[in-house]
Amino acid sequence: MAGVHESKVDEAIEMGMQVVKEYTADDDRLMTLSVGPQHPGSGHFRFTIKLDGDYIVYCDPDPGYVHRGEEKMCEYRNFIQNIPHLERPVIHDSANITYSYSLAVEQLVGIEVPRRGQFIRALTSELDRQVYTLYWLAIYGIFLGHSTMFMWPTADRELFIDLLDSLTGARVTHAFNIPGGVRNDVPEGFKEKTLRHIAYYEKRLKEYEDIFYNNPLLRQRTEGVGLLTKEDAIKLGVTGSVLRASGVPFDVRKSEPYDIYNEIDFKVQYMRTGDSFARAYVPFLDMKESCNIMRQLLDKMPESGEVRAKLQPNPKGPAGETYRRVESGRGALGYYIVSDGTPRPYRVKISVGSFRNILALPHLLVGSKLADMPSIYWALNYWPVEADR
Amino acid sequence: MASYPQEFRFGNFIASIIWLVFWVLLIVTLVALPLIFIILFYVPLPLANGEVLTPYLFLSMVVDPTRTLPILQFFMQTDLFKIAVFPGFTYAALIAAVTIFVERKFLAKMQLRIGPLYAGKIEGIFQLLADGLKLVSKEIIVPSGADKPIFWAAPIAFVATAAAVTALIPVAPGWVVADLDVGIVAVFAILGFFPLIALLFSWASNSKYPFIGGLRALHQLIAFEIPFILSALSAVLLAGTLNLSGIAEAQQPYWFVLFLPISAFVFYISSLAEVERVPFDLPEAESEIVAGWLTETSGMIYGLIQLGTYIKLYALSAIFVVLFLGGWSGPQIFPQELGPPGEKTPLEQMLTLEGIYNPGTANAIFWFTLKTFGVIMLMLLPRGISPRIRIDILLHTGWYKLIVLSFINIFIALALVYGGVFGPEGILTSG
Amino acid sequence: MSQDQDNAAEKTNKKPENSDIVNRTEPSAKLASVQKPVTKPAPSTNTLTKKEAEPPAFEKAIVDKLVNEFGNKINVIYIRPLRMKIMVEPRDVLAIAIFLRDNMGFDHAESVAGTDYPKDNQIEVIYHLGSYGTETMEGHIMALATRTSRNDARLPSLIDVFRSVEYHERETFEMLGVYFEGHPRNERFLLPEDWADIPPLRREFRIKGR
Repeated sequence: MAGVHESKVDEAIEMGMQVVKEYTADDDRLMTLSVGPQHPGSGHFRFTIKLDGDYIVYCDPDPGYVHRGEEKMCEYRNFIQNIPHLERPVIHDSANITYSYSLAVEQLVGIEVPRRGQFIRALTSELDRQVYTLYWLAIYGIFLGHSTMFMWPTADRELFIDLLDSLTGARVTHAFNIPGGVRNDVPEGFKEKTLRHIAYYEKRLKEYEDIFYNNPLLRQRTEGVGLLTKEDAIKLGVTGSVLRASGVPFDVRKSEPYDIYNEIDFKVQYMRTGDSFARAYVPFLDMKESCNIMRQLLDKMPESGEVRAKLQPNPKGPAGETYRRVESGRGALGYYIVSDGTPRPYRVKISVGSFRNILALPHLLVGSKLADMPSIYWALNYWPVEADR
Repeated sequence: MASYPQEFRFGNFIASIIWLVFWVLLIVTLVALPLIFIILFYVPLPLANGEVLTPYLFLSMVVDPTRTLPILQFFMQTDLFKIAVFPGFTYAALIAAVTIFVERKFLAKMQLRIGPLYAGKIEGIFQLLADGLKLVSKEIIVPSGADKPIFWAAPIAFVATAAAVTALIPVAPGWVVADLDVGIVAVFAILGFFPLIALLFSWASNSKYPFIGGLRALHQLIAFEIPFILSALSAVLLAGTLNLSGIAEAQQPYWFVLFLPISAFVFYISSLAEVERVPFDLPEAESEIVAGWLTETSGMIYGLIQLGTYIKLYALSAIFVVLFLGGWSGPQIFPQELGPPGEKTPLEQMLTLEGIYNPGTANAIFWFTLKTFGVIMLMLLPRGISPRIRIDILLHTGWYKLIVLSFINIFIALALVYGGVFGPEGILTSG
Repeated sequence: MSQDQDNAAEKTNKKPENSDIVNRTEPSAKLASVQKPVTKPAPSTNTLTKKEAEPPAFEKAIVDKLVNEFGNKINVIYIRPLRMKIMVEPRDVLAIAIFLRDNMGFDHAESVAGTDYPKDNQIEVIYHLGSYGTETMEGHIMALATRTSRNDARLPSLIDVFRSVEYHERETFEMLGVYFEGHPRNERFLLPEDWADIPPLRREFRIKGR
């Protein structure tokens, strides 16, 4: 299936490239469209595309509409104060974006997280992965004109938001993963409630598959569209579901197991086709696998114990630097933190999956049809706010 | 930003309303009424129940209930009533309004949500009213550089064209605005205007996204015109007439959907494409081209086009019913006359619609409306279960698959006609 | 922290090259135990008492191969489990990057970060290179660092070596004012279109009110 499309897409890209060269001097034939930031199919993001008929021959991403200077802000606050504002770029996945920060700070400061704390941290990370991926899936659904697929995931997201609410006290921005562990222990009855929700949710996932992924029209629209070969995926350095859809079974949880992930038995979900459908389906498989991970986490979690290491006020470590990453909903999320020995970081660089994946956008859009733009763009698992930081 | 004026007083507000009422009354009594009478002096007035229907008579008849019925009876026979009220515009608009409400609730139930809830006490039935008021009160923004006459005319033309289709639909025996001998051809002739209007409007908007949307609409509507006509043709072959009432009458015992299921399916798919509904809503695909050819619409211009779209939805569903579902035919469930038999007081006469009520017509209207709603629901259904189709797949479907499918059923229809099942003196030919 | 300070610390403390790892035994040891490649069963986190002064063998081998090839052009900053950092001169960075890509299996850049060191009047640009293609090195990050003068910040672009640095380098250009020679678009990327101030991630740029 994919092989047939592959050649077609390559041809189209070749053709698109030629068209670009041919028409840059004489622009009359091309129509320039500014997609975003007020376009319903772009998010806080703009990309300029040029059309030759129905084919896109040029694409120039222009992010930065929600740039908040998180990295600069980090230099003014101490390690703990940084947490609430660092989760703003992805409020749906705030557990993960603070997770890798906590890991990095722990390494810099030299903190050992209690075992129960590690489990709870991994649990929030998985819950937030669900929340984020459901939100992403909802938007993917509406981008393809499937309004039911917008409503169902947004409603089922409530299951996990509810859990996170009872666990952390906040629906989306938890500020729960901190250097040294988590803020609080799990509430009473949390395990049973989570298992109940997961059981219901797994039933729903089957229905998603029936109404959305097995829909012939969706298959027609996404299969063989926006083909990203394994070589290109590696060359462009994409990450997360985009990479795994192209046949690279890379998952930070496996290749660099942080906290207790090496005790968890799970498979890295990946597909080989590398088309838009695979990129849409891999996060779905991830969600399924994440349910297993959550069950195991709840099973293996120690019954009692500390959840947070004691920190001195204004923790600081020796001068040094570190680069730690976790697998977030959008792929590897790394923090490069330089410390000069003071309680404030000297430099924080957040290497986010979105920013890395968007490099594939011009690569994929050039040569594809205008109607495939939303499916290619959103299947890249791109969160504009996170990319801008 | 809307805000209260700085020195807002409720008393002033009331006073301003009273002033307004005063001036309206003054103008009506001093200017409007005399003007009406002057005009009426020159206009020949119709006869109602043997009397010349002067305004005085009209008013006196309204007071006496028994005398109202003849007026109603008289009006119901005029062409104006047919065009403006019953099988014409008001009926279609009413069905359109109900459709919008039903669509919202129906879709909400499919998507595990509640739908409109707050406007109106029961299940948000006034949501549409609220939306309409909002649209009316909004500013209409005309883009700079727009071709203004066309920009203004196109939405009106859109509604008018949609309403023109409804004029050809026989709702009950004799209840049709224009009972043409070439009814079905006229329907397609009128439907042929829609791509033109969409393209004109999108061009007049002087904007890129509407232009792409307009071109898409053009491609789509033209690609589906042919399977549309071909699928209707098989019904025409069986009925032996182009007249829509004739087609409806021809399927008295057996509906054509029994013999022409493929045609019915093709017609259904083509109707979806014709009304630009999911999965064929590419001319308005929001994630690709903002709102397609409606991008630059605002306020009531948008409202008019939406109204037109829903009237069109009703019209196409009704034509589906006429062509394949036996039109108004159905078991007689209405009584011979309303109310208990025997002598009636004037008020009872009024309530039981004596002289107006016709059991056959009421029955026909009931079944026709019911079937039409069934088809409308069927057309609403894909919105909950289907993603949007892509333009090349759409064109491929239209030109290659649907045309072939409709030809299959044309051959079946021809076989039925030549085999003596239908056609002149056929086994199943009614009448 | 700067490189010179780091080196000074190393000299005074009379510790091996990778001073960081000794300073922070516990987390590094934890990493060592945890972050083995997938193929091997990783021991549980509780076995973290084993204190490692020696750099892990696999990472050491990678760096040794580099040092053998380039000799004293490479200044090894640290070797930790899964993480290595080398400091090179700007004129060598291209050759070393090509060597890393072709011979060592580092096929993409995870991030490009610039750090401003006004004390040394230098800007450090650090490429975190990762590997997708080599199964044993999936978790490993090679940090390739180089320094340039603050006054005339120019570096050769690695875009021809690693396609994935395109936006990262562009961001570094606008945030720190490092001009990447050979990069097709040293342009504004994330900042507002009318940005008319110094590059914001330089230390002398202060956020208003702070």
